[in-house]
Amino acid sequence: MRRSDLGEFEEVVLLTVAVMVPKAYSVIIAEELERETGQPVSTGAVHAALQRLEQKGYVSSVLGEATAERGGRRKRLFTVTALGGRVLTEVRSVRERLWERIVPPTMLEWS
Amino acid sequence: MSPKPPRIPDRILSWLIAPHLREEVLGDMHERFFRRAESLGEATARRRYWRDTLTYVRPGFIKRIRPVGVPHHRRFEELSSPSFFKRAMIQNYLKIAWRNVRNQPALSFLNVFGLALGLASCLLITLYVVDELSYDRFHKKADRIYRVDIDAVFGGTEQRLTQVGDPIGPTLQKDYPQVEAYVRFYNVNASKLVRNGQEIIDERRSVHADPTLFDVFTFPALYGNTKTALDAPNSVVITESTARRYFGTPDAVGKPLEVNRSLYTITAVIRDMPQNSHFHFDFIFPMKAVTYDWGNFLTSNFQTYVVLKEGVHYQEFNRNFAQVIERYFFPQAQQHMKMSSAEDFNRGGNKLVFALFPLTDIHLRSDRQDELEANGNIQFVYIFSAIALFVLLIACVNFMNLSTARSAKRAREVGIRKTMGTNRPALIGQFLTESTLTVFFSLLLALGITAAGMPFFNELAAKSLSVNQLFMFPVLPVLLLIPLVVGLLAGSYPAFFLSGFKPVAVLKGSIGSGFRKSNFRNALVVFQFATSVMLIIGTLIIYRQLNYIQTRDIGFNKQQVLIVNGTHALGSNIEPFKNELLTLPNVVAGTLSGFLPVSSSARNGLTLSKVPVSSPDNMFDTQNWFVDYDYLKTMGMTLTQGRNFSKDFGSDASAVVINESLAKLLGYQNPVGQKIYPVSNGTATPFTIIGVVKDFNYESLRQTVSPLLFSLRSNTELASFRVNTQDLPKLLQQVEAVWKKFPTGAQFSYRFMDEAFDTMYRAEQRVGQIALTFAGLAILIACLGLFGLATYMAEQRTKEIGIRKVLGASAGGIVTLLSRDFLKLVLIAILVASPVAWYVMNRWLQEFAYKINMEWWVFAVAGLLAIGIALLTVSFQSIKAALMNPVKSLRSE
Repeated sequence: MRRSDLGEFEEVVLLTVAVMVPKAYSVIIAEELERETGQPVSTGAVHAALQRLEQKGYVSSVLGEATAERGGRRKRLFTVTALGGRVLTEVRSVRERLWERIVPPTMLEWS
Repeated sequence: MSPKPPRIPDRILSWLIAPHLREEVLGDMHERFFRRAESLGEATARRRYWRDTLTYVRPGFIKRIRPVGVPHHRRFEELSSPSFFKRAMIQNYLKIAWRNVRNQPALSFLNVFGLALGLASCLLITLYVVDELSYDRFHKKADRIYRVDIDAVFGGTEQRLTQVGDPIGPTLQKDYPQVEAYVRFYNVNASKLVRNGQEIIDERRSVHADPTLFDVFTFPALYGNTKTALDAPNSVVITESTARRYFGTPDAVGKPLEVNRSLYTITAVIRDMPQNSHFHFDFIFPMKAVTYDWGNFLTSNFQTYVVLKEGVHYQEFNRNFAQVIERYFFPQAQQHMKMSSAEDFNRGGNKLVFALFPLTDIHLRSDRQDELEANGNIQFVYIFSAIALFVLLIACVNFMNLSTARSAKRAREVGIRKTMGTNRPALIGQFLTESTLTVFFSLLLALGITAAGMPFFNELAAKSLSVNQLFMFPVLPVLLLIPLVVGLLAGSYPAFFLSGFKPVAVLKGSIGSGFRKSNFRNALVVFQFATSVMLIIGTLIIYRQLNYIQTRDIGFNKQQVLIVNGTHALGSNIEPFKNELLTLPNVVAGTLSGFLPVSSSARNGLTLSKVPVSSPDNMFDTQNWFVDYDYLKTMGMTLTQGRNFSKDFGSDASAVVINESLAKLLGYQNPVGQKIYPVSNGTATPFTIIGVVKDFNYESLRQTVSPLLFSLRSNTELASFRVNTQDLPKLLQQVEAVWKKFPTGAQFSYRFMDEAFDTMYRAEQRVGQIALTFAGLAILIACLGLFGLATYMAEQRTKEIGIRKVLGASAGGIVTLLSRDFLKLVLIAILVASPVAWYVMNRWLQEFAYKINMEWWVFAVAGLLAIGIALLTVSFQSIKAALMNPVKSLRSE
């Protein structure tokens, strides 16, 4: 599995999609990320990341219902595919393995 | 009131984002906006909206095709409506366009042919203009080379010269570090007798130049080293074709050449000077071979060119000339005349202004007294560009007219298409494709016409253009742009007009009749004919002015004067030669003089004074021509006062005959017997005026006659003879036989005065002819359009005409009915065009010192011509319609 396929921002977006399913679309994801990180996140950036994730096959999408505040326009709803799920798990386990190997004194030095 | 998302970024987004993404992106943006407006306030939401817009500027959102790998469920219906750029649609457009062409071959042909003619004219003129603008740009330092000019006013005579004193060039380089190099020309186009085997050839494309010639100008050497080629006094540089002419090979370096009976050595052979140079020399002699009273600031005999260093602005440099005048000119002037200071000099309106003139402007913008060759004229470039544009516009208008006229038929098609769901952009796309296609075909045809017309145009414009130039840099991009621009321009009106129809109205048939009276179309016809009428008036006036110049009383008789060139080769035999010719029965008179009243012959400036001690306020510039006793008689000039030179008076050595304009300048009641003085401190011998000759034109008629005087001195450059014969060839044989009796070694060479005189106006004649040709073309194209329009109208009204005939209308009545509408338009066009033409031509005539009045009948003739041509064009169709059998037109329905 090619780990380098998943950029950092893409990884966060993919995670958020997993969190928000089945109501994951760019506006919600952007707001969620803004809340979590405290940094402004634009829908454009999220949308672009979603496009890339879709190209790689980690998410899939369908057009959802239209709402009045969108001016009667439909939104595109995203879900994590099986491949996407596997990649997320993989990434997580790599991280966790590394975390476990950090010795406690080192962690103490940071805090 | 609920907040609203800003509109401008919305516009940008919907234009920028690919159609299949537009919906979700705009939805996202709006939703985010409202949520932010609620939590952060409207102002912040708006600001963020703008910023967020920028984050969509990435290829992923802009690219119009479906990104590779997008999952299959995104189907075609999710993409936006079929756009103009789809292959299937373009194929369909092309098919429909081709069917339309096939349905109406005659109209389509008119359309394509008219446009092709317009384009071809435009291409030819573009080539001409590009060539005119390219003069002297081939020199590597072209943008830094300047010619030093003088504007001088002495005692009321103004001189605008391209020649300055010999020390000006060296002084500028010595005193001003901004000057990188200079070169001077002397004795330009003087006759050189060059020996080729047994023959002696009178070569005139010669010059003496400084060795720095090749530092300033770029003339690549084929053989020899141009750096040192002009160092030795007996060296000479020749061009490639000259080397071939004399030696049969371009490699002539080191070979001897006998010029004017002395031996020169060829030190370099350069490439022929390009045609787009403002001078052309075949022989370049070194300045060291010139015997001259060097160091004289007061005379002006040297064309001087300087190269300024990079970054030096020439107009700023011009300020230095005041210093040059103060430091060098005035001290020298004080030795020769009574003058103490600059104020003294400027008193009485005298003026001396040096200025640099950019090399690349010389061909089109310089019109001075001693240009190296006849230059072009920026006005002609403007005139021709305007003509090209007009012709093209007329052709485009044709196209628009014919297309909209056909719209009635196509209205149904548009109606059906719209009902079936085609949107407006797609319809516009269809019509634009059709027009671009038509223009493309026209362009191909135009290229053919251009290639075929090139030789005629070259002859007309005295150029050597070739079709290949169409495919070189400045023209090619234009050529490729033409179908696009013209297609869009010419197709835009039909496209927007037709696509704007309401399908219901069209299909109900309620629009049909409205087409016939289109104000816009009428305006276009008026425009076409107004332009044509302007071109007719312009051409008529140019022709009349040229005719006036050539037939005007020029003060002497230029007919039947034979000029024998290079008579100084005869040496002391010149008098016997002249006398022997005079014994021929058809030779009436003869004179020996190099000074002739045609430009391109020798000139000799002289500054004179009314009083013995000259001072700046009593001097004036004149021409002093050396003539003999028979000059006035041979040229057919008439005396208004006093007498001619005569052998009966011994004192005629210091006598002069002046022209009327000098007499006016002097202001004497009776000038005969008065004395005038050469510039000096009172020591020079004065001239005595013995006669006044009627003013005769010796420069172009753009200028008034300048002051001039004749004095008696031998000048053997040319011999002129007044002849009186119907059989010129025989006379020429006789003259040649006499020439050969004398041991000159030179070939017999002659020209006629009237031809030499007419060359002064060749440029104007050419402009006249070119204007005439293109005015004709413009009218032809306009007529093609009118013909098409009339055909169409008659076709539209077939039934109406049929019914009228059944009810008893006469053929004449119907012709009138059909022609009346068009005539009205042409009349309006004449009314519009006349004042404009009057204004423009008045400006043009201002350039001439002697000019015609613009008479009303010129406008009347142009108007009648336009009406006549329009009537002729329309009547063909209307008569055909009027003579048709009504049964035929009414039978089918």
